[in-house]
Amino acid sequence: MAIPNDNSAERMTAYLDAELDAAEAEQFEQFLDESPEARAELEDLRKVMKLVGSLGETLAPPDFAEKVSRKIRRRAMLDPSSGLLGLVTLPFQVICIVVILVIGALNMMAQLDAQPQAVERDPAADPQPQDGFDDAAGQDAPLPIVR
Amino acid sequence: MNVGATLGTPDAPLAVDPGATDAPEGVDAAAGTELAVVEPEPLDANDARDRRLVRRARAGDGRAFEELIHLYQHRIFGLVLRMIGNRQEAEDVAQEVFITVHRALASYRGEGRFYTWLYRIATNTCKNRIKYLRGRNFHRSVPVDETPEAQAPTGEGGATASLQSQVAGPEATVEGSRLEAAIQAELAELEPEHRLLIVLRDVQGMSYSDILRITGLQEGTLKSRLHRARLALKDRLRPYMK
Repeated sequence: MAIPNDNSAERMTAYLDAELDAAEAEQFEQFLDESPEARAELEDLRKVMKLVGSLGETLAPPDFAEKVSRKIRRRAMLDPSSGLLGLVTLPFQVICIVVILVIGALNMMAQLDAQPQAVERDPAADPQPQDGFDDAAGQDAPLPIVR
Repeated sequence: MNVGATLGTPDAPLAVDPGATDAPEGVDAAAGTELAVVEPEPLDANDARDRRLVRRARAGDGRAFEELIHLYQHRIFGLVLRMIGNRQEAEDVAQEVFITVHRALASYRGEGRFYTWLYRIATNTCKNRIKYLRGRNFHRSVPVDETPEAQAPTGEGGATASLQSQVAGPEATVEGSRLEAAIQAELAELEPEHRLLIVLRDVQGMSYSDILRITGLQEGTLKSRLHRARLALKDRLRPYMK
């Protein structure tokens, strides 16, 4: 291992990044002269930095800003605290739901009042008795004896 | 791309809620565990311009915020793309960064440079997304350079092929493209903390002082971690080093 401790590692990084002052840089170069391993490692790291530094600059898509602005506007619309829906507060929403339920119930009652036969004629609600049987006799009642 | 510091005249600080914090919602609190004491940031003309735009954006001027997006979209997209390694995912994350910034503008105290604050949000958003994608066993199904956008010429939303343009000819272009994809792939295999430092320093050319402010690391930690990151990348890039 060319770099004996963290302090030397830090110094090598600072040297590579030209962050050492002149005296520190000279001192580090003396260390490199005495350590061919450290020099080899330094050269390898330089190559790595060169390779990585040559990665292409990336550009955002042309419509990037437009997309962000659109998303911000959409979220603002849906944000109950600040957008259009912010006007619709929770109590107002509750009142709306109650009003809708009341209107629905009144409407249903009005329909029932207008067509009472519809309910009475419902076979499920009031099954018709079979011929020859007494209305009062249920399905579980014993059959009448005919002599 | 070098976004290093330039000395200049500081602009007047923004008038904001004294109780507000610069930390936006959703930012990983753990990232601040190694916070360093960093000297006040020197501000320049660009910072003054950013502050003016931020002030207008906070007052509800949508065009001012759009201008901020235009100013920083390429840097942020570049950072996110190199961190995530997938173009579609990177675009989504970069959009999320600006949306978070927009939401957090009210809590931005304006004590430091806008762009280091923006980068802090971007790096934390990236880390969170990487963690999330790891949890979902995400694989970079569409590599950086295999999308139509990446193949588009410079200025049309594509990657500028600096590796490709070093040698003339179509074969060299293909070779350069492959090399770039290989470097990106190896970069994406590094630990996120290592990857971040490599991208900030070696890809985007940021100064140590800016990286310290963005990451909250101590200077010694930054140097030793950067060294380990470069060593890790060196082992991975050995086949490409001539």
